[in-house]
Amino acid sequence: MSRLLLLLAALVLAVAPARAERLVSQVSNETIEITSSFSGERMNFFGTIIPDAGSEDKFVTGPFHVVVVVLGPTQNRVARQMSNVFGVWLNTDQVEFSNFPSYFHVLSSGRLTDITDITTLTTNLILPESHTLPASTTDWWKSAIFGRELVRLMTEQGLFGVQENGVNFPADNFYSARLTLPSNAPPGPYIALTYVFKNGEIIARKSEGFAVRKIGFERFLALSAVQQPFLYGLVCVILALFTGWLGGVLFKR
Amino acid sequence: MQVYLPIAELSVNLFFLVGIGGAVGFLSGLFGVGGGFLLTPLLIFSGVPAPVAVASVTGQVVAASTSGALAHYRRGAVDLHLALYLVLSGVLGAFGGVATFALLRDAGQLDLVISVGFLVLLGSVGVLMLIESTRAILKQRKGIVVRERLPNQHNWIHGLPMRVRFKKSRLYISVLPVLIIGLFIGFVGSLLGVGGGFIMVPALVYLLRVPGNVVIGTSLAQVVAMMAATTILHAVQSQSVDILLAFCLMVGGTAGAQFGASAGKYLRGEQLRGLLALLVLAVAIRFGLSLVLAPANVFSMAVTGVVQ
Repeated sequence: MSRLLLLLAALVLAVAPARAERLVSQVSNETIEITSSFSGERMNFFGTIIPDAGSEDKFVTGPFHVVVVVLGPTQNRVARQMSNVFGVWLNTDQVEFSNFPSYFHVLSSGRLTDITDITTLTTNLILPESHTLPASTTDWWKSAIFGRELVRLMTEQGLFGVQENGVNFPADNFYSARLTLPSNAPPGPYIALTYVFKNGEIIARKSEGFAVRKIGFERFLALSAVQQPFLYGLVCVILALFTGWLGGVLFKR
Repeated sequence: MQVYLPIAELSVNLFFLVGIGGAVGFLSGLFGVGGGFLLTPLLIFSGVPAPVAVASVTGQVVAASTSGALAHYRRGAVDLHLALYLVLSGVLGAFGGVATFALLRDAGQLDLVISVGFLVLLGSVGVLMLIESTRAILKQRKGIVVRERLPNQHNWIHGLPMRVRFKKSRLYISVLPVLIIGLFIGFVGSLLGVGGGFIMVPALVYLLRVPGNVVIGTSLAQVVAMMAATTILHAVQSQSVDILLAFCLMVGGTAGAQFGASAGKYLRGEQLRGLLALLVLAVAIRFGLSLVLAPANVFSMAVTGVVQ
């Protein structure tokens, strides 16, 4: 193990450009467990910016900005638009977006547009709108409108959000950020991407994974619904018949 | 107290679920209907995804109808022979309904069809029931004796071929209308997440002329069997039956139904039908308004596939 680490370190030292800063970061929870009383969970992201191993500096000099992007498992999602057809409101138009994150929150230590330029934000997928990639070739204007509406709908449900004061700097090179994962956060693998900016440039980045998953009875139920659907349905019916019968007996109808 | 629903993937207040289960159960006990036509819209309105609401209420309707069906069976008020025909065709209809349900959901028109379906069904049944019960109440006031059944009054339905004798209902009629009624209710019930008691009872009374003493029992027995099959179909086809959600509703529903049934003894049959008609109409109007009023939000979203 130690030999492997040495080898890795040697490789990194040989390849890494002479960058001045490095990011050491940590997520408070590696797994978030959904139990029967799950009503959301608070998470902390923290880390320090230290001089890089190859660098000659003893101290790092700021000011730094930190942006933490939390991404949930991706799905295909459609945005639909209703319109009035002969007095009746119905869905008439839709755009499907592929690999759309089911959860997306950005925490930053300042206004995103003050931290860096829009091109950097877009190419690094820091803005919610940059995730709206239409599944099929639709006209650009339409997918932009539907994409913006989809982001708005997700924001209303608390699944998307941008908190431009979400990252604090208790010391010059130490940051901490707090995020409350809502109870409707979809289960699956999550990624937290941390970017350190200095003078509008990304000087360090790191990604950490964590998982949101059902455990115990909830996990058992969700799994059996998918793996043994017939048995699951049968158990549901037997439970219903039993409850109905018991109700009749208890109340002596 | 919050409880996490594993299939709906959201957490809901436990007392809220048991509460609406109980309230709807009370009404269903009072009027002798399953209550699905009230529960499904209530759940959708409180944020449960429509597919999960429809599929889980199906399970709840089984529980709500079981105690009533058993009570009627012990009293000998169930025509099993007639129920069998209705169930067999009903399950066939449910296959079609569940398949249509999946197609509509993918096409994004499920909500529209659910709204139109509830509007048309509840609207027409509600108007018919209201007219009938008002007439009955007015006749009562004038002192005219109303008979539940007019024995020798036959309609064109009784002239169809393939006749079968249903002993308990004292009927000798063609199986065709029976099968068509079963098929239709199976289809509509699985599509809208309702038991269909509110269509079944009038259809048995006015179309087939089934005597009053076996109508409710037979309808309940049919609802139990058909909704049980539909629950399994939904579980297999769309995996959207939330057993925890269904169980919370069942517990409230069965308890509420008992109180409703004892409260129902203080009201006359036509008064009950009149009140039920008003309730049914109110839900129909609610759906009608959602179709014609401009929505607060013209955009909506749905998940079409999970890529991991």
